[in-house]
Amino acid sequence: MTFTGAIGALCMVPLRAIIAACVALRVHPNILTLLGVFINIVAAWFLAQRRFLAAGFVMVVANIFDFVDGKVARELNLESPFGGFWDSVMDRFSDIALFIGLLYLYAELGRTDYVIITALAMMFSVMTSYARARAESLMDKCKVGFMERPERIVLFMIGAFTNRMAGVLWVILVLSVVTVADRIFHAWRELNGSARLEERLMAELSRVE
Amino acid sequence: MKRLLMFPLLVVWRALFWTYERATWQYDLMVIAILAFVWLTPPDWLGDPMAQGGKGLIEWAIGFLRLGVRG
Repeated sequence: MTFTGAIGALCMVPLRAIIAACVALRVHPNILTLLGVFINIVAAWFLAQRRFLAAGFVMVVANIFDFVDGKVARELNLESPFGGFWDSVMDRFSDIALFIGLLYLYAELGRTDYVIITALAMMFSVMTSYARARAESLMDKCKVGFMERPERIVLFMIGAFTNRMAGVLWVILVLSVVTVADRIFHAWRELNGSARLEERLMAELSRVE
Repeated sequence: MKRLLMFPLLVVWRALFWTYERATWQYDLMVIAILAFVWLTPPDWLGDPMAQGGKGLIEWAIGFLRLGVRG
């Protein structure tokens, strides 16, 4: 088992109990999704107030709701196309709320440089999701690129708990730019049907392997 | 020789055009690289507006080694 796989398996132990509790109480998954957004707004407020540790704990709670909603929907047989749409839209609100908290903080500190870095990270995070959603309306799958929402959320938590938000923002920004580029490239390759350039490069590279 | 030259190119290409799933060894490597950057880079180098005590683990280790050399 890999290192990240082991961490994931460890986290699943309490999450299973929470999912079971939500199923027993028959909490509607859409309500869980909405609660996650509200709690993320509280986390954003803590970030804006320079209370990173509190923000970290609130983010953990918010993302428990975020994580269990899909599983609860499956257990209760309440999966629906609208549920998927609702979840995706609410996720964007949660993402943007956290960035706005940081934008407020850095603006108040008079740090224009970090206001710009945060704004760019926010833009490319939203574009990461949009690029995939738009591409998947035209083709089968566009799941390439490293920086997806779970990675972003875990990085936010690490930044908040260890007070290293600047480094986290740089990582989110750079890897989100790369992820958006990956998705545009993948969509171009699939939709144009002219993968010749990339095929040649990959053929050359695979001969080396 | 060509193989040696192409290998780093392949690594860079695979790291940039990311197609690996979570919980693979490639994913682990990427996570370790990210955590190393976040935790080891001195906050002063990034001009971190919030981190107290601008020294990161790298600077701390350098200082520790210097102290050790001086005895």
